[in-house]
Amino acid sequence: MSKPVTRREFISLMGATGGTAAALQVGTALGLLPGGAQAASPELLALGSNRRRVAILGGGLSGLTVAHELSKSGYDCTVLEASHRCGGRIFTVRAGTLIDEIGNRQYCEFDDEPHMYFNAGAARIPTTHHNLLNYCKELGVELEVFVGENNNAFLQDDAMMGGKPIRANDYKTNMRGFLSEMLAKSLTQEEMDEPFTEEEAENLLGLIRSFGDLNEDLVYSGSTRTGYASGGFLTHGVQRDMMAFRDLLKTRMGRQILSGYEGDYGPSLLQPVGGMDQIIAGFLRQVGDRVRYRAMVAAVQVKDDGVEIAYDQDGVRHQLEVDYCFNCIPTHLMAGIDHNFPSDYSKALKYVRRGEAYKAAFQAKERFWEKLHIFGGITSTNTPSRAIWYPPHGIHKAKGVILGAYDYGGGMYHTKMSQSERIEAHLSDGEKVHPEYRSLVEKPITIAWHRMNHMLGCSARWRRSFREWTGEEEAMYHTLQGPVNGRHYMIGDQISMHSAWQESAILSAHYALSDLDQRVRAELA
Amino acid sequence: MSGRIVRAAGTLMLVSLLSSPALAAEPREPFDDRYCTTCHGSDGRGNYGVQAPRLAGMEGWYLIRQLENFRSGVRGTHPQDIEGIAMRPMAAKLDDESIADIVAWVGDWPYVPAEVTIAGDSAAGERLYATCAACHGQRAEGNEALGAPALAGQNDWYLVTQLKNFMAGYRGSHPDDSYGQQMLTMARTLVDEQGVLNVVSYINNLEDR
Ligand SMILES: Cc1cc2nc3c(=O)[nH]c(=O)nc-3n(C[C@H](O)[C@H](O)[C@H](O)COP(=O)(O)OP(=O)(O)OC[C@H]3O[C@@H](n4cnc5c(N)ncnc54)[C@H](O)[C@@H]3O)c2cc1C
Ligand code: HEC
Ligand code: HEC
Repeated sequence: MSKPVTRREFISLMGATGGTAAALQVGTALGLLPGGAQAASPELLALGSNRRRVAILGGGLSGLTVAHELSKSGYDCTVLEASHRCGGRIFTVRAGTLIDEIGNRQYCEFDDEPHMYFNAGAARIPTTHHNLLNYCKELGVELEVFVGENNNAFLQDDAMMGGKPIRANDYKTNMRGFLSEMLAKSLTQEEMDEPFTEEEAENLLGLIRSFGDLNEDLVYSGSTRTGYASGGFLTHGVQRDMMAFRDLLKTRMGRQILSGYEGDYGPSLLQPVGGMDQIIAGFLRQVGDRVRYRAMVAAVQVKDDGVEIAYDQDGVRHQLEVDYCFNCIPTHLMAGIDHNFPSDYSKALKYVRRGEAYKAAFQAKERFWEKLHIFGGITSTNTPSRAIWYPPHGIHKAKGVILGAYDYGGGMYHTKMSQSERIEAHLSDGEKVHPEYRSLVEKPITIAWHRMNHMLGCSARWRRSFREWTGEEEAMYHTLQGPVNGRHYMIGDQISMHSAWQESAILSAHYALSDLDQRVRAELA
Repeated sequence: MSGRIVRAAGTLMLVSLLSSPALAAEPREPFDDRYCTTCHGSDGRGNYGVQAPRLAGMEGWYLIRQLENFRSGVRGTHPQDIEGIAMRPMAAKLDDESIADIVAWVGDWPYVPAEVTIAGDSAAGERLYATCAACHGQRAEGNEALGAPALAGQNDWYLVTQLKNFMAGYRGSHPDDSYGQQMLTMARTLVDEQGVLNVVSYINNLEDR
């Protein structure tokens, strides 16, 4: 057992807590925490009879945000989108959808029903992402609750309990019990006296007790929080045996259960009814007529008085001359497109590395998880497939679509496999949790973002290490955040310090829009 | 543009038929095999961001051979050949007809020499290049008869990767790769990374920019 916390440590702990609390209050008063910027569409000057042409390169969320805001203010926008669809990494797959992975095209064969879809890119909306939620409201995108953390979902690790899956709840309740017991025992009465008033000390100990469900002797001896061995409704409930602490220490995945659902991943989470691409549909209801599809940008030349763009569509090279240009083409693709950006800009474009996110999904022939009392939520496994997500929508319907793999950080393991190898890997990983998995699922799809046409990655990696940004990295980031010649803006979640969130894509668009707005105001003044 | 080959649900059709709005009800989005520029950059001029080299100006015979090598697994299968592994699945599903279509398409792209991005001792490189000239030509313009491609004007970072890959045996050690095997032996005359940088910086000088 760890050594008891000394009085001195406690006093400094109190001091530290006091400090954080003070900072929090100030922060919240300013509206800075925890969600980031205040939700507000930029207030752009309406152009009136003045004319300004704008090209938006890429119909990603940030590009459509710009198109929508500028159109409202009277700008003449054209969106050039290389793919057959807008949305980029907001991609919902349903019956008939083409998954345009280069070298491995797939068509989705799911049953054609409203709840039978898969969010292959963005899938969850934190309720602190105000700007995104604001647009959902403005654009009439209906939302529902998304379930991430679910006590009834499983935790499976070959290293623990012989590989037998246990409920997240079993891990959580028992581990909390053990941790609380250690904490309670390390706080002897004498040590509690000094820094705390009697009332505080009592409250703290009470919290620790209830956090871990300890008995009066401050001992953890199991808990009915994990359900009963028998009875519980019409007869007395019989408590289940507690698990062995040592068994729980066999897995390193406890972090996922105890702290994986915090911050952006914490409750409550939301999702659009019918798929994340309903957000894109919402924007397209406003600016859909401004979009040119299968229009692949080939060159961007920034001039003194505007921007010249060349793009390929239907095998023909077209030119477009505009006053301003907003560009959400992924940096690693922009690096290969002709441009006349200054050298520091070009260097920064080349510096950003691309991520490797990978997802896979199956159609389930029946909602077998609901028979196990799982309604939405995430099972974590220590396999390369890493997770199974159960849909929070379509409850009690005949079938559903489940996520069969999600590797956010190191997706190359599956990306490099052939389609049939990928599927076999997910089936055999899934069988460890649900023994009948193989016979219960069908119609697999895989999405290797590293190979998706016109994307080739998710998401921008600015840092070479997992540590802080270096000064040089930060400088390059600010270079790309600023415009070229006041005419060309890079946007997208790639131009943020919090990539891989839709909110970041929107905030980067707003940042660029307010810069443009200042310039236009000055010009027209 | 005419005769562009498009595959949809296993059938062949012309893209021009499908792009007319009357037929847009066709539920399945068609696709074709001309996706190379996503990685290889505008007009195939190479993209450092994806480590995919310049194709514009590449000799047709060399292009076909490399696509066939990637398709059959002669190239891009060594577990350490990271970038080759990225390219291989792109060629794996191409049939001969598609390859012919692509070679004709790539042939249309104007040749533009790549920008210089590496630094080395080009005088030392010139001495090293004497060996290379026998096959690749005095001006690194390539020699079809010997199967050696042009090197001048290619992205220098790509030439560096290839020479390192040949030296390490990541490229050119497949038993059916007779051209690659010759080149593997030659690359080892460069001894180390500095030799590679020197010879590539000399090759950079051979292109009038
Ligand atoms: C697996 C995964 C999970 C995610 N999970 C979440 C989540 O749960 N919640 C959340 O909020 N966010 C999530 N995200 C992040 C979210 O999807 C992105 O932050 C957001 O969609 C990025 O929008 P963007 O405007 O930067 O453009 P992108 O989506 O990057 O769009 C770029 C656009 O440019 C186009 N383009 C490329 N090349 C050219 C060219 N040459 N010419 C013209 N157009 C071109 C592309 O086709 C594309 O439409 C996830 C992303 C992934 C991949
Ligand atoms: C997913 C990105 C990607 C796509 C799409 C792609 N390539 Fe490549 N290609 C690469 C990379 C990366 C390399 C470099 C391989 C290496 O370093 O060995 C490469 C190498 C090549 C080479 C070898 C060049 C040489 O000098 O030996 C040829 C030829 C080639 N690609 C042709 C094509 C063609 C034609 C297409 C379209 C059908 C295509 N590629 C599509 C990424 C791609
Ligand atoms: C004996 C003839 C020969 C000599 C000498 C030779 N090469 Fe090669 N080289 C080849 C052949 C053949 C290929 C094509 C290999 C293939 O088809 O995969 C090649 C390919 C290459 C490539 C890869 C080009 C590409 O686009 O992928 C590079 C780089 C290269 N050689 C550099 C050199 C250098 C530098 C030297 C001198 C040190 C040299 N070669 C000497 C025959 C030769």
